[in-house]
Amino acid sequence: MILRSVFALVLLVGILSPASESLRFELQSGQTKCIAEDIKSNSMTVGKYHVVKPNEDHPLPDSHKLTVKVTSSHGNSFHSAEKVESGQFAFTAAEQGDYIACFWAVEHTPQITVTVDFDWRTGFHTKDWTNVAKKGQVHSMELELKNLFDTVQSIHEEMLYLREREEEMQELNKATTSKMFWLSFLSLFLCLSVAGIQFWHLKSFFEKKKLI
Amino acid sequence: MEKTRGGMWALMCFLLLNWLSNVSSLSVTVTDVECVYEYVLYQGDTISGNFVVVDHDIFWSSDHPGIDFIVTSPGGNTVHSLKGTSGDKFEFQAPRSGMYKFCFHNAYSTPETVAFHIHIGHIPSEHDLAKDEHLNPINVKIAKLREALESVTAEQKYLKARDTRHRHTNESTRKRVIGYTVGEYLMLVAASLLQVFYIRRLFSKSVAYNRV
Repeated sequence: MILRSVFALVLLVGILSPASESLRFELQSGQTKCIAEDIKSNSMTVGKYHVVKPNEDHPLPDSHKLTVKVTSSHGNSFHSAEKVESGQFAFTAAEQGDYIACFWAVEHTPQITVTVDFDWRTGFHTKDWTNVAKKGQVHSMELELKNLFDTVQSIHEEMLYLREREEEMQELNKATTSKMFWLSFLSLFLCLSVAGIQFWHLKSFFEKKKLI
Repeated sequence: MEKTRGGMWALMCFLLLNWLSNVSSLSVTVTDVECVYEYVLYQGDTISGNFVVVDHDIFWSSDHPGIDFIVTSPGGNTVHSLKGTSGDKFEFQAPRSGMYKFCFHNAYSTPETVAFHIHIGHIPSEHDLAKDEHLNPINVKIAKLREALESVTAEQKYLKARDTRHRHTNESTRKRVIGYTVGEYLMLVAASLLQVFYIRRLFSKSVAYNRV
């Protein structure tokens, strides 16, 4: 990915699945903005993007088109599109890690602002788009309740994950403390040995010079 | 972002009134100002969220004083502002519907990564119940449940972002402490070598014997 502009801003999504984001951001001509999301392994992810038309009636001029690339942290490309107005991508994440979606607006002499609407969903939220209740109230209510149930499950998973991370941090702190403990002994040993070597060396030096 | 679905208008209204409004969670590297836009569908909707400044690696200087967070209504008024914090939660009622702007301002030149989550929640009120015959009082309860679950999810995201921040701080502290300790040892050894060297020089034959 070549970040052309001085104002390259990296957007990182620090949230694991389930996560859904629908946001709107602005790109200056020639600027790049990247959004990364930390996705768990074996989870579905779907993304949709489109340029918000400044003028509803006329077709979008070339200067407002986007180039999009979706890659994993290892460099595998999952989606790429040149000079498009809208598009979507979907893939199943093979491994856990940061997946980056980068947008850049084509270079144009009078700086124009392109507004991009981007919706990226991972985990169970991908089901929302495919299921639109078409039959009556009861079905849609059932759908909502299912949604709530999925939310609760994801909350549970997230809690377990947070607990794991907290444990990791505790291990890190313990390791740091024990390292400092050993280092303090080392410093004492070093200090004494340096003093001892100095003393021994100077003594032999003076004896050689026949001063002692 | 308006969720437009093809299909029956009545069902769409029903869905609009009940469906969860916008959720966006991501983190941004703020060099100067970084803004995100979210569309609020109804007046009186609760806009809630949180943000945490996930520090970059600081080696020599002191902690960053914090960033400012300003929410602007579609009319241009500042609805909510938090100054000089390193992370906080917020919740307020939207005074009117429209496109709201959420901005992070960084007063200093060092870029800071901010992880944030914004949620716009809508609960259909009795007024809406009276207007639309498709709405059932149970939908209000479901909406309340959904909002409650959403607040749990938001809290989890906040905790996760804070955990990331603590992890960064811990790792940076560990590196710095070990670095300084090893540096201290090297300085000690260098000082003692210099001492020995200087004393040897004082007693060397080239210098007059009686000077010492």
